Amino acid sequence: MRKKVILLIAGQLWRQAFRNKGIFLLTLIIGSLLVYAAISGWSNVAKQNSIRQQFQQAARHDWESNPDKHPHRMAHYGHFAFRPQSSLSFFDMGMESYMGSTVFLEAHKQNSVNFSEAGFSTGLLRFGEISIAMILQVLVPLLIIFLGFSSIAAERENGTLKVLFSQGVTWQELIAGKSLGIIGIVAVLYLPVIIVSIVLWLALIRFDVSAGELFRLLCIAGAYLGYLVIYSLIAVLLSAWSKTARSALVKSIGVWLLFTIVLPRATQAVGAYLYPAPSAIVFHAAIEKDILKEGDSHNPDDPHYKAIKDSLLRAYKVDSVEKLPFNYSGFIMAEGEKISATIYDQHQTQLQQLYARQNSIARYAAFVNPFMAVKYFSMAITGTDYHSYVRFQEQAEQYRYGLAQRMNELQMKYISNKKPGPDDKPYTISNHHWADLPEFQYKPPSLSAVIRQERISLAAFAAWFVLLLVLTRLLSKQLKVV
Amino acid sequence: MISLAFKNFIRSGSVITGLSLLFLTGLLSLFIGKQFLTKQQQHIADVSAWQQEHIDRNIRHFDKETGLLLYYLRFSIAHESEPINGLSIGQRDVNHSVKSLTIRNLEAQLYDTDLYNPSSLLLGNLDLSFVIIYLFPLLIIALSYNLLSSEKENGTWKLLTVQSGNPTRLLLQLMAMRGTVVFSVFMLLMVAAIGMLSLPFNATLLAFFGVSALYLLFWLATSFWVVSWQKSTAVNAVSLLTIWVVLTIVAPAVINSFLINRYPVPEALDTAVKQRKGYHEKWDMDKKVTMDKFYAHYPQFRKYPLPPGEFSWLWYYAMQQMGDDDAQQQSHELKEKLKNREQAGNKVALFIPTLHAQLQMNNIAQSGLGNHLQFIDSAARFHEKMRLHFYPRIFENTPVSRENWQQFKVASFTDKSSVNWVILLLPLLLSTILLLALSIFQLQSHKE
Repeated sequence: MRKKVILLIAGQLWRQAFRNKGIFLLTLIIGSLLVYAAISGWSNVAKQNSIRQQFQQAARHDWESNPDKHPHRMAHYGHFAFRPQSSLSFFDMGMESYMGSTVFLEAHKQNSVNFSEAGFSTGLLRFGEISIAMILQVLVPLLIIFLGFSSIAAERENGTLKVLFSQGVTWQELIAGKSLGIIGIVAVLYLPVIIVSIVLWLALIRFDVSAGELFRLLCIAGAYLGYLVIYSLIAVLLSAWSKTARSALVKSIGVWLLFTIVLPRATQAVGAYLYPAPSAIVFHAAIEKDILKEGDSHNPDDPHYKAIKDSLLRAYKVDSVEKLPFNYSGFIMAEGEKISATIYDQHQTQLQQLYARQNSIARYAAFVNPFMAVKYFSMAITGTDYHSYVRFQEQAEQYRYGLAQRMNELQMKYISNKKPGPDDKPYTISNHHWADLPEFQYKPPSLSAVIRQERISLAAFAAWFVLLLVLTRLLSKQLKVV
Repeated sequence: MISLAFKNFIRSGSVITGLSLLFLTGLLSLFIGKQFLTKQQQHIADVSAWQQEHIDRNIRHFDKETGLLLYYLRFSIAHESEPINGLSIGQRDVNHSVKSLTIRNLEAQLYDTDLYNPSSLLLGNLDLSFVIIYLFPLLIIALSYNLLSSEKENGTWKLLTVQSGNPTRLLLQLMAMRGTVVFSVFMLLMVAAIGMLSLPFNATLLAFFGVSALYLLFWLATSFWVVSWQKSTAVNAVSLLTIWVVLTIVAPAVINSFLINRYPVPEALDTAVKQRKGYHEKWDMDKKVTMDKFYAHYPQFRKYPLPPGEFSWLWYYAMQQMGDDDAQQQSHELKEKLKNREQAGNKVALFIPTLHAQLQMNNIAQSGLGNHLQFIDSAARFHEKMRLHFYPRIFENTPVSRENWQQFKVASFTDKSSVNWVILLLPLLLSTILLLALSIFQLQSHKE
């Protein structure tokens, strides 16, 4: 392939495209949408995070300003975890709207993460959300199709293709040149917007940026560039393959429709059908049943708790629990919390594995549908994917468990073993203990962990490139000029 | 001549492929809708079985104090689905279809989230409303974008007009022919839907049919309008696709993001934080503070004075009540905000056919935000009813065995709101007529 010829062909496509009024209008529409998406995404993240931060502080303030209390009352007073929205979600909303923002953390009970945007939304949300990522994933490919459908087919119809080949141009040069021309147009139009949005993002995180995060941006940029190159090649190859520009357009639109609108829903529906998930009530009833099987702390004759009691009495050589050197009911609650949390974790892990299996169909569909590859990869890098959702829940649960057990420890250590009489004031401990509890802080995953998780998407990208290169070679031998 | 054109048109391979693909996708969507309905019914059946077992077990364990028993007992209310829900799943997969509530602090339980896989929600449902709103217009576009231009480009248009005399009438006939084909597929799917989901013949079914049919007519009119510009095939195709993308993808997303930014709901978070404090701080206050407020809320319970001793269930439930009472303002503001969101969405949708069709289908199928808010309200009323039933029994410590526990079956809620035909149909009807008039005007004034 000769570089000069490729550039010449690219330049010609470029000039033609800018002469087309429809294309000009379309790029203008997409360009202004990108600007709108950047601004609204940015203000959404800023607004949401300031709201959540404000309530996180209010909840913490309420917690700390409790007077002297019995530690178990504090375990029920509990705390809130407000999920911080990832700063890169201004670029890709991902599953943000379905994740929920608030979880109440208390002893004995794993609460759901509530107040998702979706729960408060009209049906409009389900049309999809606007973000820079959505525009790059859905709308820009459409522009690429409009730029590319006639690129070769029209030349064939006009007969100019014959002229080109008589001048010694090869199929591979032609395809490379046309694709390069399309990518060039897309890049020149949207690079400024991408750069502005990076600056906006930097402002959002107050320019406190690490090398890792810059690398994240690089990954995103690389993935989208790859995706758009794939689309350009598809559009040009379809145009080369079709007899007329019209049939190339119909085919390309069909492919786009299948990739972005039909396949994502259909593959996910297959996943949900193959791996049916339990309803909330079945899920919670199973946990309840397992916990009762392990031991019922409310039942004085329960064998599990009776065995604990007997072994404690033996170890400390006393004849009643009131003579133990620590608060007995605090000990029992710690034991109960351990059992219920372990069982809950097992069930929760199973459920998450089930969901992951449901999602696996759509994930592997990336090999037939590059849209899924870029969608999943982009969500993972921006911290708005399924794994981030699970991660927040896990960290909140860990924090909840730590809180409950810390209160149980305080009870064992500081609360008298003698039961207060009906008219006695309840036992309390000093309120300085409350501030000792560290505040909840969500830790996002490291970039290397994210990339490992997205092996499938990366492999799908690679497979697509190989496929398209092989197709280009094969078609070069079979395609006809007329 | 028209019958000849029809034969010609319907024999084309790509037309048949397109029609059958759409029909099959439609059938798939009905299957998915049916699955969804079965799941909902199973869910409610699970809850019924669980509630019976749950009550039996707890009355055995906690048979001494009614107050302690009611700390644990949950009573469920189910959001019943009509079969038509399977045609437009809407927000029903996001929102709980069952609420299981204790008589304690309501605000701490009312907004609990259902178990769901967020990936499935994100990618969306392939239900019949999706097929009608997204895919049918594409079929209409594919069948009609080259209606006039291809005849012109092939040089057959002159011949046709000479034979028929009135080109506008001829074009309308050709368009009507395509419309008939589209409507046949749609009718077949409706018949299949009635069979597969056992839809009863009633006003809601008619409403769903009406809004879908008008929506299809709107797209036929849109295509006809673009055809009437008398531009080239490529321009028609690109223009129609751009209109489709704007109406199904861009406009909804922009409007949704506008609504979310315009009506953020920090009130939800505020309610959660307030109700916790409202209840818990009462443990550290003089009991009189709580009791005075409680008696003010429920004067009928003044006859139950606070019993002596450090702890009593009367005081406990009065404290729980304070969680709700103290967060009442935030909770009220939250509901107002959500109602505003819904109304604003409905208003904007009047001008955008895709949005209007989707929101109205959700309304008809009882799967929209408004319907969910009604369920939330009904769950709150149910909670209040259970409270008022049990409060006297707790305060008197009526023996647990005296209650007829068998009577507490799963309660159910069905949205009874009726169809507003004018709002449902008028926007689509007007836009269709307007587009048709524009097209005819265009054709008459640009005769060649």
